[in-house]
This record gives sequence, structure tokens and C-alpha cells, in this order.
Amino acid sequence: METNQVRKLLTSGKLSDESFLTLFMIGVLVVVFGIACIVVPNFYQPQNMINLITNNWFVIILGIGVTFLLITGNFDMSVGGVIALTGVLSVYFCQGANVSQNALANGLGLPYGVAIGLTLLCAAGVGAINAFFIAGLKVPSIIVTLGTMMLTRGVAQVITQGAQRNTSLPDAFGVLGNLSISGTSIKLSVLVMLALIIIAFIFEKKTVAGRRTYLIGANPEAARLSGINVSRHLTALYIFSALLAGITGVLLASEYKSGMSGMATGYEFDALVIALLGGVSIAGGFGSVLGMFVGAIILSVVTSSATGLLLSPDWQFTLKGIVTFMAILAQRFALDKRKG
Amino acid sequence: MKSTENVLEIRDLVKDFPGVRAVNNVSFDIKRNTVHCLVGENGAGKSTLIKILTGAYARTSGKILLNGEEYSPHSTRDAKQKGISTLFQELNVVDQLTVEENLTLGEEETTFGFLRKTDKINKMISVMNSLEPSIKPRQLVSSLSVAKKQIVEIVRAVATESDIIIMDEPTAAISESEIARLFTIIKGLRENNVTVIYISHRLDEIFELGDYVTVMRDGKHIDTKPVSQIQDRSELIKMMIGKTVFEQYTPREGECPDAILQVKHLSNHKLNDISFEVKAGEIAGFYGLVGAGKTELARAIYGVDEYEGEITFKGKNLQPSPDKAIAAGIALVPEERRSQGLFTILTIRGNVPVMNMKKISRNGFIDATTERNVTLDFVDKLKIATSSIEKESGKLSGGNQQKVVLSKCLFADADLLMLDEPTRGIDVGAKSEIYSLIRQLSKEGKSIMIFSSELPEVMNICDSIYLLYDGSLKATLRNGCDVDSENILHIVTGGE
Repeated sequence: METNQVRKLLTSGKLSDESFLTLFMIGVLVVVFGIACIVVPNFYQPQNMINLITNNWFVIILGIGVTFLLITGNFDMSVGGVIALTGVLSVYFCQGANVSQNALANGLGLPYGVAIGLTLLCAAGVGAINAFFIAGLKVPSIIVTLGTMMLTRGVAQVITQGAQRNTSLPDAFGVLGNLSISGTSIKLSVLVMLALIIIAFIFEKKTVAGRRTYLIGANPEAARLSGINVSRHLTALYIFSALLAGITGVLLASEYKSGMSGMATGYEFDALVIALLGGVSIAGGFGSVLGMFVGAIILSVVTSSATGLLLSPDWQFTLKGIVTFMAILAQRFALDKRKG
Repeated sequence: MKSTENVLEIRDLVKDFPGVRAVNNVSFDIKRNTVHCLVGENGAGKSTLIKILTGAYARTSGKILLNGEEYSPHSTRDAKQKGISTLFQELNVVDQLTVEENLTLGEEETTFGFLRKTDKINKMISVMNSLEPSIKPRQLVSSLSVAKKQIVEIVRAVATESDIIIMDEPTAAISESEIARLFTIIKGLRENNVTVIYISHRLDEIFELGDYVTVMRDGKHIDTKPVSQIQDRSELIKMMIGKTVFEQYTPREGECPDAILQVKHLSNHKLNDISFEVKAGEIAGFYGLVGAGKTELARAIYGVDEYEGEITFKGKNLQPSPDKAIAAGIALVPEERRSQGLFTILTIRGNVPVMNMKKISRNGFIDATTERNVTLDFVDKLKIATSSIEKESGKLSGGNQQKVVLSKCLFADADLLMLDEPTRGIDVGAKSEIYSLIRQLSKEGKSIMIFSSELPEVMNICDSIYLLYDGSLKATLRNGCDVDSENILHIVTGGE
């Protein structure tokens, strides 16, 4: 009896810093949301609240891969480029072969299913290139993924001759990205995002592989000496992150029925910003997918209130910058206070 | 004032760390223009004393007089300005700069931000020409050998008119001919009004170079004598180890069974043709001074560092990679607890099961209850003092951190446990707990290899003792019969 009580006592700990920070950011979200409801006309409308989530599905999907890599202490700046590349490729693979004089109207004429498969394979290839340099040759991830960021967008520009491809596509191409629950604005893409968030949450909290992600970020040397195959784990994560970007690219291309080389410019930074807003540490070993999700909603509330206040879209970036600074200062302050 | 006979007088110096008195009432004098050697085993307090002299540590109490004046530096830079320069083992030169730039580093003289050639530089260059003409001022430091980098540092110390230059194991990483050159320079310094405090584990050097020698042991000053009054190495060794009372080692009963680990002709950048075997249930101790190759040996076996040679474990060739080693049944407690062993930002629960996640998971999913119970069992078994298993492991005391790292390795269910400096920097109580744990594991049939630079530790628990010097295996002893600590120290300090 007595030992049981001791054991119970020993397992009770205060809230972990991660949970604390996620709760804190939810608090920040509630405050920001409250202010927006008061100041911005019609902000409280249910449809608007749904939009806050549905308008950002692509950044949130990217955020999942970026968050896990940040937790291992690595960056992935290539995700925006991968969206452009995979979007363009999925179109190119589907476009009819030899149907027109115009080079941009001719593709490979593959069935849509095969095209998607090939496109995702290419995305995984980009992830493998990242992994080869980062996990294999130990080149800093920021350098490598900046390289693949430009490389992927560059190839997309070559294939589209710097513009877009949107002709001679089969009808099937536009279906996936425009499917939605009837009578609502909730698209298939949003459901994919929600499913991925749930899977990522379980992965992070419950699985051995999720735990290893944190161990590698907390101390890569100790992780290696504890028998974790760090290179293999990083390789898997980079391929996973590139695949998420690939899925996003395919869905966006389908939604617009077009492959644009300028698609998703700057999304890699948005994904990074929402992860940081969610309390993920760039030093590694700390952070959560749920936090990233909350970070995304905060950013969404701020940008859409700006639109609601009829602020010129030119202000978007400035506003994002200010919010990022304030949120991160608030986090530092809260954590320092907690540590006393 | 410079005429006083003693350049440095140390009186009743004390330095306390939490739980340990590292320097205990030390008093001695250092005579002007001599080479004064400082010897003692690891943990004798030499390094702490030096760190006080260089301003890295503040003393707890006591007095130091430099040239007859009270001396209490608050930084290495301050110490240098007051006249004490130090040649650390980790050299303080910038590889990417030229020799000339290194010489004036931090003391550049400028006009409107532009570097100015001054008398100071010329003086430094002339000092260097007199010491080592082969070094060119425009040469990049990265192109110099370790020995020549040392000379660049010595030049810097001489040119800033240091009264005392402290050298911490300067010969640890340089070749025989370079050592001879260094000794000539040191003797030259003595002629030029510089006092050298010389620290080395190689006792022969003390007889060759030293005028005086101070012996320290367990933080205390044992004796200071002119080297000429010391007969031989063994007298010095006796002073170093004193009448250390070793806890009685009890020889194990019965014959040891088969060998579990066989190492044949192991060599790499640091190790030199090492062969030995460890039997099931045996506690094997590898003893040597700093730089003897203990850690490198452990890392090679564990597959962290590359090597040539053959390692068989349980009759099979061992693949050189830590995850393969763990799968085969070997676990390592690394030398650097915080940087290599512990995940400091994670909780105790996050640390303990790491090396055997299979045991707390099913189909890749962690079973939280098992995880908690396993951690609680280890907290209980190893008496880890903590308020909760959810506590950040980096916030525990040193001894408890080490127990967490040990738990991690024990949970790996290894048949061979390699412990690199298992009790470094932890208090006496935790130490003896770890020793009894090691004995118990051996009784359960596990083999244990201990890599240690503490002789009492090795003599106290190991069945066999391997002596390493400079990357080579110099002797193998069976504990209990022909083991005598003087002979051991003779061998590990390079004696034949």
C-alpha cells in the first residue's frame, strides 16, 4: 500500500513545458479572437470561423513535416518549391500527348491515377535528395533545403516556360481539389488536412518513431550512442515532409486545374512561422503538432481580421511580421516566468 | 619588489565545490626563474589550483602573493595582464589567421579602425625568430604542427612580459623530436627571467626538466622539494599515491567461463594493436592516464570510431555501429554524461527506456503504463533521488544524472556493459552505490568493462586490470595476487 502511494506520487508531475506552451498559445488565440470579434464586423459568424481553418489547409499540411523536422533540429525550406514542382508535373503527366502545336499544351497523356503516383514519387525523390545531403553528408539542412527550394521551382519554371500549363487536361483532373461536403465550404483537402493532423498527433504522442524524433533533436550524439539510427530516421522524415508537400501540390493543381510555376511562393516561410508561433524550438527536441495548428489559426485570425477591416492587402506581410514577433516574445516571457 | 626570491606564494588556499573540497589548505612557494613541476593523480586538485591561478575559478579562501603583492585575477585576461600566462591543452590560437595576426590577437593597435604595424609586432616577431626561426609571420596557423602552435602561444606570453607561464601537459600531443625542442625553449625561458609551472603525467619529464616539484593528492599539498633531492620515479609515485587504502578486493570464486568478447589486433588513429578478451561475468578494468586511449578503445568496440582489427562478440563478428552493438548485447555508458549520455531536456521517464523501446511498446506504439512502471522500477532500484519521474533529467544532481544514464544502459538488457568513467564527478555515496551495483550485475553473469582514470576504482572492483599507455596495452594483471599500485603507476606513466 505504502509503496503504491510513493509510486503514485512519483508519477505526478507538473504540466510539461510543451503542454504548457500549447495551452498558453490557445489562450493567446482566445484573446486575439475575442478582440477580432469585437473590432471586426461579422467576424463572429460561424461561416467565418470555419473559413479560418479551411482557408489554411495547405500551410497546415506543410507545417506537419516542417514541425517534425524542426523537432529533430533541422529545417525544410523546400516545401514551397515542391508544391510548385509537383503541381506542374501532375498537369504535365496528364496533358494529352501531341495534341497541339503549342508546346505548353502537350504532355505525356497518362491516366490521372498514374500521374498522381509518378508525381508523388518525384516528391519523394526531392525528399531523398535532401536526406542524402543532410543525413548522409552532414551538410547543414538550411543550406541543402534552400538549394532544393530553388531547384524544384526552377524545374517547374522550365516545364511551364515560366508560366503555367492548363490546357488539354482530362475532366478527372479537376475533381479531387474541388470535391466538398455538399452544402458546405469544407473541401476534401480540408478533410485530408484534419486526418493528417490527427495521425501526426498520434505519431507524436504514442509511437516509438515519434519519440525518436524528440530524442534526436534533444541530443543527436546521445541518440546515436543509444542505438538510434539517426540518418535513417532523418531520411524518412525528409521523404515524409516532401510527400506532404507533394500531396498539397497535387490537390492545389487540381483545384485550379492548372500547374503554375509561381504556385506556393513563400509557403515554406509560412509553415516555419506557424510552427514557431506554436512553440516549436529551432534548437530541437521541443514542440508539438497541436501547437503548430494553434499557431496557424492565430495567424489566420490576424490576417483575416485585417481583410475584414478593409486594410489593404499590402499590409499582410507587415502584419504577419508584427504578430510573429509579439507571439514569440510572449512565449519567451511565459516560459521564463514559469521557470522562475 | 621583483627582487623577492619567491615569484608566487600560495597560503592556505581552499576551493570548495558543492559536496567536495577540491583544494584543501594548500600552501607552497614557487621560486623565481625555475621550472616548477606539479604532479598528482587525476582528481588530486592540480587543475583546480591552476584554474584559480588563471582566474577561471574564484577561490573559497586563502591568499596568493604574486611578486609579494596580493593576487586575485577575475579572468584569464586579467591574469595575463598581471603576469601569469597559460598554455592550455586546448590551444588558444585561431587556425584561420596568420601567425602575426595570432600574436597580436585581442591587442591589435589601430588607427581609425585600420591595423597599425607597431613596435609590439616587431618585438613579437623578433622573439619568435629567436625561439623558432622556421615559423614565418605570414604563415597561416592552420599549417603549423601542434608543437609550433604551442611555440606561437609561448611567444605571445613572453612578449607580454609574463613572469609565469603555466603549461598544462604540453607534451601530450606532440612527437619526441618536438618535445626535445620544447624543452630547449623552456630551459631558455628560465634563463630569461620567466618562471614555468609545468604539469605533466609523464614523470620522466620532471627529472629532465624540473628544478622543483610539488606533489598534490586528494586536494592537499603533500610536499614541495628540489627535484635533485628525489631519488627516482618510485619515490615520486609513493608521494603521489600515499597510503591509499583500497577497499579489499575479494577474488571471485571458481573459474571464469568462456570468453564473451574477443578483441584482436585493434588499431586506429589512437590505438595501437590491442588484443584481449573478456569472459562472461568478469569485471575488466582498463586503467590509464588522460590520453592513454581508454575512451577511444570503448568507442571502437562500440562501433562509434573506425578501426582495423577483429572484434568478436558471443562468437560472431561485431558490426561497427552502435545500433548493431546494442542489438548484439553491448551497452555503453559514455564518458561525457551530459553531452553523450543524457537527454537533458527530457524527463527521467523520457530517458530510461530509450535503449530498449521494443520492451515498452507493441507494434510501434508506446505502452504508457509499462513505460511508467519501468522507470519507477529503476528509480527504486538505483535510488534515484527525485520528486517525480516527470522531472527534467538535466536538473538532477550529477550522481543522479549518472544513475539515469546507467538505468538507460541496464534497461538495454546487455550482456556486456561498458562503463567509461562511471563515477567521474559524483559524490562518495553515489559512488559506492554504483560499485555495489556493478558487483551485483557481475554475479548475475553480466560482463563489465570499466574504463577509468581512478586507480582505487579499478583496484577495488575489477577482476582483471589492463594498463594502457599512449594507445597501447602495456600490461594485464589479475587482481588480488601480484597487483601493487606503485608498479601500476610506473607502467601507466610510461616506465618500462
